[in-house]
Amino acid sequence: MPVQPLNRICYVEDDVDIQRIVRMSLERVGKMTVEVVSDPMVAIGRMIEFKPELVMLDWMMPGMDGPTLFRKMRDTPETKDLPVVFITAKASQREQDELRSIGAAGTILKPFSPKDLPEQLRAIWHALP
Amino acid sequence: MTPPINSTDPAKGSTSISLSQSADPRRVLADRVEQMYGQMPLGIAGSFIISVIAAYELREGRYVEIVAFWAGLVVLLTAASIGLYWSFNRSATKASEAAQWLRWLAISALANGATWGFAGAVFFPSHADEQQVFLAFLLAGMVAGGVPIYAVSWPVYALYAAGIVFPFTYVLGTFGNRLFAEIALLVPAFYAMNVGVAWRLNQVFDSGYRLRHAYGKLTEDYTALNQRLEQQLVELDEARRQVEASGRKLVLFAERSPIAVFEFDVEGRILTVNPSAETLFGYAANEVIGRIGIDTLFAAAIQEDVRERWRKLIDARAPVIGLRALSTRRDGADITCEWSLTPLVNTENSVISVIVQGRDITQQLEAERMKQEFTSTLSHELRTPLTSIIGSLQLINSGVMGDIEKDTLELTTIAERNAQRLLDLINDILDVEKIESGKLTLMIEALELGELVTESLTLNRAFAERFKVKLVAAGELRAVKVSADRKRVLQVMTNLLSNAAKFSEAGTAVEVTIEIADSDTVRVAVHDTGPGIPENFRNRIFGRFAQADMSHTRQMGGTGLGLAICKRLIELMGGKIGFSDRAGGGTTFWFELPHHD
Repeated sequence: MPVQPLNRICYVEDDVDIQRIVRMSLERVGKMTVEVVSDPMVAIGRMIEFKPELVMLDWMMPGMDGPTLFRKMRDTPETKDLPVVFITAKASQREQDELRSIGAAGTILKPFSPKDLPEQLRAIWHALP
Repeated sequence: MTPPINSTDPAKGSTSISLSQSADPRRVLADRVEQMYGQMPLGIAGSFIISVIAAYELREGRYVEIVAFWAGLVVLLTAASIGLYWSFNRSATKASEAAQWLRWLAISALANGATWGFAGAVFFPSHADEQQVFLAFLLAGMVAGGVPIYAVSWPVYALYAAGIVFPFTYVLGTFGNRLFAEIALLVPAFYAMNVGVAWRLNQVFDSGYRLRHAYGKLTEDYTALNQRLEQQLVELDEARRQVEASGRKLVLFAERSPIAVFEFDVEGRILTVNPSAETLFGYAANEVIGRIGIDTLFAAAIQEDVRERWRKLIDARAPVIGLRALSTRRDGADITCEWSLTPLVNTENSVISVIVQGRDITQQLEAERMKQEFTSTLSHELRTPLTSIIGSLQLINSGVMGDIEKDTLELTTIAERNAQRLLDLINDILDVEKIESGKLTLMIEALELGELVTESLTLNRAFAERFKVKLVAAGELRAVKVSADRKRVLQVMTNLLSNAAKFSEAGTAVEVTIEIADSDTVRVAVHDTGPGIPENFRNRIFGRFAQADMSHTRQMGGTGLGLAICKRLIELMGGKIGFSDRAGGGTTFWFELPHHD
């Protein structure tokens, strides 16, 4: 379990509205520092710069989907150990199982509650080995 | 069943038993007694006439009074015999009590014989020579004449003749005349000969009667057998007609069926083809008959797999149902068919042929794929904007963005509530779609039910407070484990608790209990204080889009799908769901889940 509190989060999401809501939720309710990335193709570079403690990925994005980006992160030494939480509108059990099987730290379903989102992330953070 | 007229006695080897032995001895005796009584009038009349002649001829002896006495005896005996004859003819027990009637006849015969014996013994010594000859002639005649009358039962004849012969023999023997003494020695010999003849005749009569009865019985049995045979022939004919009709129906079904129907022999060669099969695969019947069906109808890549299934089918004689396999049409197009292979087995348990039915499901599979894709896209495309809407409104309403005016807050709260309703509806529709398409996968595990119910109470408490209703556990919840899917049990509990909260009276409490239903199941019950379920709604409460009163949809929210989903979820987890009226008002909704050992 990580000893320090969760503070730095990188969120990769193409929908600007949701980007904004998540940013507000995490900054205002959760008092966290958030780096939002709209383009998955440049996400790894931004993560290396920002050095987040946890990464949130959308599943369906143009250009590259979340699971593909996740695999690329695993192939990159600087990002391979970062815990990843998927935030997705895909709700089926099969899809959630698929995410767990590729090593996701957790899944948050859309629509989520911005009030509760920071707490949900902290719960996943504290449950990490 | 008819007893055999010939049988084998295992102790004696192959011994033929006489036909007459199969007759019922009681009926044979009854017939013999009837025969003897039938001859009585002749005997009575003959004996009486001869007695009258004898009395007239012997009237001039020394003892006229004795002759008169004897004549009186004859009259009495004649009257008694007539009485016996009359009683027998009127009796209803002629057959059942034949042995008794025979005994009465034997007494009558003995009395008759003894009357003549008395005449011989008394009148022979007291009369002159000619009358003695006359008397001896009469007695000999009575002895001989008794044979045809009584021989049907030789003991009766023996008694009758003994009554005549023995007193007369005694008189002859003691008369003092040597010739008479010699005759006295011969008379018993003649008696024995007559009884012998009577015995022989008795045997002949007996055989005759037995034969008659056996024949009668045989005729009856034969008639019954004949009737049964005729009946069986009629039934057989009817069965043949039914089989023919069924055969015609089957041929018609195969011909008109929209499903491709083939008949394969045990080697897998095509024997028959119906018109739908010709249309589906593009072959004319005469092109495929005689060819190996698997090689002709199935795609090359799966032929080996189908052959393996075929071998198992022939070995086990068990049908293969729902086999989905790729086939190649004559024009080279690939289609997917769902196959049923049913072996036809004869009474020796050998496979005669196999009925192979195939249905083209190519379009159905494509439609299923498209539906699934549509559902998935719909799910994503509807949830994404709702995420923005609900998320924005929640941030505003929670006060994170700062204080807002009361009227504005009221409106944004309405907007959030209705966006949430829209989301609930989407989730419910997706759930129904998943359940009905069989795509819902459950994670069955051992769950501590008490903890799960407590969690559901905590999760729904805030919702219930909107209706000023409390959610409470009635007493301490039992610690019991069930086999179920955690997420789905919570979904069912949320549904039942939110319904209970919506419909209960403000200021009251919804109670939840856990009970052991029986050794295999555990019951969770949610007791509300609502108005109860209207009578006309009870039988469709678990149906889709079920609302007791459509105005509730607007007043209370809800999609009308909740209970239908709950029912299917609980059933998929191997349980039951239901409701009952609560004593004192309100309703109890309950569900049962399998107990985890």
